[in-house]
Amino acid sequence: MTDTSNATRLAELRLKHGRPPASPAEPSAPPRDKDLRKSQPRFRGLEAGHRACQGCGEALATRLVMESAGPDVMIANATGCLEVFTTPWPESAWRVPWIHSLFENAAAVAAGMESAMKAKGHRTKVLAFGGDGGTYDIGFQSLSGMLERYHNVLYVCYDNEAYMNTGIQRSSSTPHAASTTTSPSGKARMGKRHLKKDLLSIIAAHHIPYAASASVAYPTDIRRKVRHAMETEGPTFIVIHSPCPLGWGHDGSVTIEVARKAVQCGLFPLVELERGEVCNVMPIRQPQPVSEYLKLQSRFRHLFNDKDPRALEERQHLQALADHNITLFNLRGDQADPMDTAGMDTVRRGGPVH
Amino acid sequence: MTHVLTRGAYALPGTSLAFKTGDWRSTEKPLHHHRKAPCHDACPAGEDQQAWLARLQEGNLEGAWLELVKANPLPAITGRVCPHPCETACNRKHMDQPIAIHNVERWLGDEAISRGWQYPVTTPSAEAPKVAVVGAGPGGLSAAYHLVRLGYRATVFEALPEIGGLLRAAIPMTRLPRSIIDAEGERLLALPGLELLLRQKLGRDVSLAELRSEFAAVVLAPGCQKSRPWDVAGAVPQHLHEGLHLLKEWIDHGWLPEARRVVVHGGGNTAVDLCRIMKRNGAEEVHLLTASGLPGPDTDPDDVLNVVPRELEEALEEGIQIHPHVTINRLIMKGSVFTGVEMVSLRKLPGQDGRKRRIPFEGTERLLHCDMVVPSIGEIVDPEGIEEILGQHKYLHPKDDTCELGDHPGVYVLGDARGDRGTVAAAIGDGRMAALTIQRRINGAEPLPPDTREVATFDKLNIEYFDRTERAPLRKLPVAERNDESEIELDLTGPEAAAEARRCMSCGNCLACDNCWTLCPDNAVIKTVEMASDGTHYVFDYDFCKGCGLCSAECPCGFIDMVPEDTVLPAATT
Repeated sequence: MTDTSNATRLAELRLKHGRPPASPAEPSAPPRDKDLRKSQPRFRGLEAGHRACQGCGEALATRLVMESAGPDVMIANATGCLEVFTTPWPESAWRVPWIHSLFENAAAVAAGMESAMKAKGHRTKVLAFGGDGGTYDIGFQSLSGMLERYHNVLYVCYDNEAYMNTGIQRSSSTPHAASTTTSPSGKARMGKRHLKKDLLSIIAAHHIPYAASASVAYPTDIRRKVRHAMETEGPTFIVIHSPCPLGWGHDGSVTIEVARKAVQCGLFPLVELERGEVCNVMPIRQPQPVSEYLKLQSRFRHLFNDKDPRALEERQHLQALADHNITLFNLRGDQADPMDTAGMDTVRRGGPVH
Repeated sequence: MTHVLTRGAYALPGTSLAFKTGDWRSTEKPLHHHRKAPCHDACPAGEDQQAWLARLQEGNLEGAWLELVKANPLPAITGRVCPHPCETACNRKHMDQPIAIHNVERWLGDEAISRGWQYPVTTPSAEAPKVAVVGAGPGGLSAAYHLVRLGYRATVFEALPEIGGLLRAAIPMTRLPRSIIDAEGERLLALPGLELLLRQKLGRDVSLAELRSEFAAVVLAPGCQKSRPWDVAGAVPQHLHEGLHLLKEWIDHGWLPEARRVVVHGGGNTAVDLCRIMKRNGAEEVHLLTASGLPGPDTDPDDVLNVVPRELEEALEEGIQIHPHVTINRLIMKGSVFTGVEMVSLRKLPGQDGRKRRIPFEGTERLLHCDMVVPSIGEIVDPEGIEEILGQHKYLHPKDDTCELGDHPGVYVLGDARGDRGTVAAAIGDGRMAALTIQRRINGAEPLPPDTREVATFDKLNIEYFDRTERAPLRKLPVAERNDESEIELDLTGPEAAAEARRCMSCGNCLACDNCWTLCPDNAVIKTVEMASDGTHYVFDYDFCKGCGLCSAECPCGFIDMVPEDTVLPAATT
């Protein structure tokens, strides 16, 4: 191309994107778009108008991931709430290429998309999204395969700890003693009998470059982890704790508080693993008792029945699990840390501190 | 291009915007609500500390000072003498320690003087109405400043050859160096439209009637120049020195009567200042006898000694002996020589009509030997020149915060002369209110109604988002190095003041932290400008807001309310 056509092209681009003209001879852009939504200083990968419930943790987590992952991504989405509420035919809340196929094959579809991109010589990063049902249970086999074949895919699991889309059935991610429609509390049992599956350890056993857990209560931490995963070549995995107001039985306004308490009590530790080794944890400045977390949610309401001796036992069991996490990952830290549970979400005028 | 029909289908990007989820809101919607920060609510001068600390957080020092002088033109002075009710009210006390607003204000005032920042005043037109201000104390200066700010011309009449009123006459140099009064006062008096006439005493050089006929309004800020009469059952020792008079004598001439053991009777700043001066000038023992109590967890706030808390602390450090809840019952005389006082314990207790009165307790009488007793029980208005409006009263009583004197239109009274004020800050606040009322009256409007906005209490905040931090240290001269001239409390450094400002939690007003924008699951909070910081750059998109209330719960400052759909909150007024 000659210099002249370059200059013409640049002038066209300036006009198109509303930039000021380089010289008075150039045409100036029409007045800026009055649509405030479009002039926001962030990438809107997941738009408004989706049908998630009020205060949905998963919708929030997805929005945060999309903002950090940026525009040059493609998504394979497993069946689940996220797929259902973002794409009611004939509309879509996504503003990036997005494919839904089946419940069990998001990782396999992502692997195929990644291979296609590679074959075409594109650098577009492929993301796979799934809920805990599509990740811990149904899509686990294809996820393991994708990790093993070492595809350059970031898999994000939105963990709301049950099959919420189909009506709150227990999954292998449902925590111990939580009541769901298929693990109801009653005479026989105090909610779910089994423990939450330690998925991160299984993922770590694949020896992948990066795996992490995050929580919607710590958006700055999510951004950092997603950016790190985006920069990493090879399979990466992030599980994001995302409260479900409907399934967990809390008000939509306390979604963040519930998620924060889960981290602060130690039941959902935020850790990072590289090649299977723990390389970083978010220390807890002041560990909270698990009951502070449990009592916010009606799925644990039966644990506060003073007449039932099993209630205290199960509460103590959950406390012991949280304490175990704190010991295992050394979450107590040595001293107040700017990146601990209290420092991480500190704000100042103009935004978060970190 | 041919379309291949498959069982798959596609939708165009972002088309869900056609579906307005806003109609899912069943009961409430989020709304920005500017509440009063507790510091602002507590400030007698009407300063909005939250607003100027916010400018400091932005690194805009001059902007902070300009915000401050919207209400208080004398920050270097109040930053030294104010009992800072703002700090007492600060929400931060529930978390760690209140913000050292007082010290930051002083630092900001000193910065303004050293950098020569200009007061936000334009030259009033030659035809602008003229207002007379009697008294160049803090209240009078404030009234004159605010009148000029509002576009009027002001003439200040001061009886003494210097400005400052009580600031110069009764506040020791160790608390308020005279260079500060001169620097801040002179900057103020240099303002266009402001005229100062010294040695003009009301009743001697000018009369109230003259002022009322020549000026559009008359502001009286004479202060209280006469000591309240004092005796013990009708008896008064020979050579009695009254507290305020003694303090003035010492400040003007450096003279103090000689005494080994001194009793000061009273419970205000003058009494404590006097105690400390007597002690520093050679008295072996200085006792303060007061009917009030010392601050403490069991003391009713109404019953606490009316003294700047840190002054009290310093007095105790210097060895002043304070006897709370006592009064003088009898003077002990050996012939005509005064040898001591008999004191008795008392409490202020409500009687049958509910009004509190002082009840001395029989059997608690005890003696205190001393060579001198100094009463310092308060002052009243000097009636000279204002006999016609004062009548038989001890104070002039304007009807409310507008400072209007009910029966005398066009006359405004502020500061100590009101009888219901007791601080420099209150006088400064009165000066502003009087100027605002004069403006409304000249324009034929009713005075401004009181500001009834809700206060942002601690429960409105989400403190998860604030780190615990140490309050800036207050450096003082060691007791051994204290003298009559050097300022005892030392200034903050710039970095300390900036760090202290950053501790402000912006109660009731937007912190621009992005929480609502970051945490809305529905993209229904829109941020328009990156660099704004007052909340105007966050817009609720009610087309999509589902009303979950997450933004309100996670707003650190209590700036977002969930309100019924049809609510429209009034715009912020200050």
